[in-house]
Amino acid sequence: MTEPTTDSTEAGQVNAEPDFLKVAGLHAGYGQARVLQGLDFSVARGEVCAILGPNGAGKTTTLRALCGMVRGRGSVTLNGTELLGRSPEQTARLGVAHVPEGRGTFNDLTVEENLRIGAHVRTGRWRRGSAERVAVAADLERIYDYFPKLRQRSRQAAGSLSGGEQQMLAIGRALMLRPALLLLDEPSLGLAPLVTRELFEIVRAVNEEERTTVVVVEQNAQLALDVAHRAHVLEAGRLLLSGPSREIREDGQVAEVYLGVSVRSAKDGGAP
Amino acid sequence: MTELFQQVVEGVGSGAVYASLALALVLIHRFTGIVNFAQGELAMISTYVAWQLVASGMSFWLALPVTLAVSFAGGMLVERIVIRPVQNAPELTTVIVTVGLFIFVNAMAGLIWSFTVKDFPQPFPDGGIDLAGVRVDWSTLGIIAVVAVVMGLLYLLFQHTSSGLVMRAVACNPASARLSGIRVGRVLMLGWGLAATVGAVSGVLVAPLLFLEPNMMGGVLIYAFAAATLGGFDSPVGAVVGGLCVGVAETLAGAYVDVVGADLKVGVPLVIILAVLLVRPQGLFGRAAVERA
Repeated sequence: MTEPTTDSTEAGQVNAEPDFLKVAGLHAGYGQARVLQGLDFSVARGEVCAILGPNGAGKTTTLRALCGMVRGRGSVTLNGTELLGRSPEQTARLGVAHVPEGRGTFNDLTVEENLRIGAHVRTGRWRRGSAERVAVAADLERIYDYFPKLRQRSRQAAGSLSGGEQQMLAIGRALMLRPALLLLDEPSLGLAPLVTRELFEIVRAVNEEERTTVVVVEQNAQLALDVAHRAHVLEAGRLLLSGPSREIREDGQVAEVYLGVSVRSAKDGGAP
Repeated sequence: MTELFQQVVEGVGSGAVYASLALALVLIHRFTGIVNFAQGELAMISTYVAWQLVASGMSFWLALPVTLAVSFAGGMLVERIVIRPVQNAPELTTVIVTVGLFIFVNAMAGLIWSFTVKDFPQPFPDGGIDLAGVRVDWSTLGIIAVVAVVMGLLYLLFQHTSSGLVMRAVACNPASARLSGIRVGRVLMLGWGLAATVGAVSGVLVAPLLFLEPNMMGGVLIYAFAAATLGGFDSPVGAVVGGLCVGVAETLAGAYVDVVGADLKVGVPLVIILAVLLVRPQGLFGRAAVERA
């Protein structure tokens, strides 16, 4: 059960809006396959929230339902606005920036063009004048400050970047939207541990400096728990438990259900 | 030698026409992954619109922009009504739909304007200039100039405007474009409108050389397919280069290879298509097939 009053001790902030993102009774799936079976959780404004769980628990589906990539039943509200029933382009316009699994890089475009596409919603209309363009240029600099490697490669085709750089670009593109809610799907996938750690440090910095609310789905539970204020553990499409990261890390049940699984599969090559 | 240059110039002239229809094919393929067999017929309908305008007393150079605007709107309409419902259907379905569109548009033109041949006005003056013994007709120069202007405008649109950037992003990764808040459906409509406009240019340019009738673009479409295959179905630059190469190859084969002559010229594009598919399936400028993620 979520306890909205619990302080995110790691950041030391007070959760003024515990239900900034509120997921209630969320059902979602693909065709006949029902993946989420009534999911409830909340994310406070300015919080980093990790969604953990074994393979097939519904972590990625949860993010896809939030941004409109898969249809869901139930209710998902962001700052009081219902997100369900909207397309990805609509949720993006409401400030939901989704960094998909596989990073969604525009390979043929340059790094800088990729970032500019991220700001499309802000500059796309003619009536948004030069003030917004100046703001976008400033944001571009800000993203380059977070990711100096992207600045070096700004004129290079994005498809020629390494996996880690593409993940940085994907996060940078999402930040160009000035999102109210940043959704990260498996940012560590296929990346070296050192690169992953660097990425999570930047996510932490972005959260602290911009107060961006972040929901991150991650296989690497230890890493996610280091950055997240709170974590929600899924199993078979339902919420198993929620709590501050510290408690989740020390919880024996989690170690057995989730961390235990990952440890065992790492040792035995996946065989149960 | 002069004779050879003469043939090359003629080839470039017809190649420019193939290039613009090939460019239309490539645009559609880049945006939607669809090979639009009806591209030539859409150009033919546009040409009839131009003919109708000129026949009702409008000057050619006023009729042209009006025709292009009508073509743009028509292309958007085709995307929304015919293509959108099958956008995610298997490849065979979209092929059948565009072939069906081909037949439908062809029949519609016959119904409205009949299948009898019509004279299309020559927009360029008669005569030409003499360049070191090579005679270049004004009409050939005009065709090359119009196509060059169209290419230049497209380049500016895609490389130097924010709309062009958005269009390239959609062509590259539609799912990701959606996540960035881009209304992909609208962009695809624009893409089809743009392709129909570029195709219309080829129809209007070629009509004075051939005769205007509903089956006029059938042959041109085959040359355009050869051009797009040669240049690479993903590459706008390839389409242009491919078009010019096909035009020159066709003219030279007709002039210098006795077996080919005038009658077998239409076999040239088929040989080119076959050779490219055997030797370098991705074409000169295309990328080797990589399954889209």
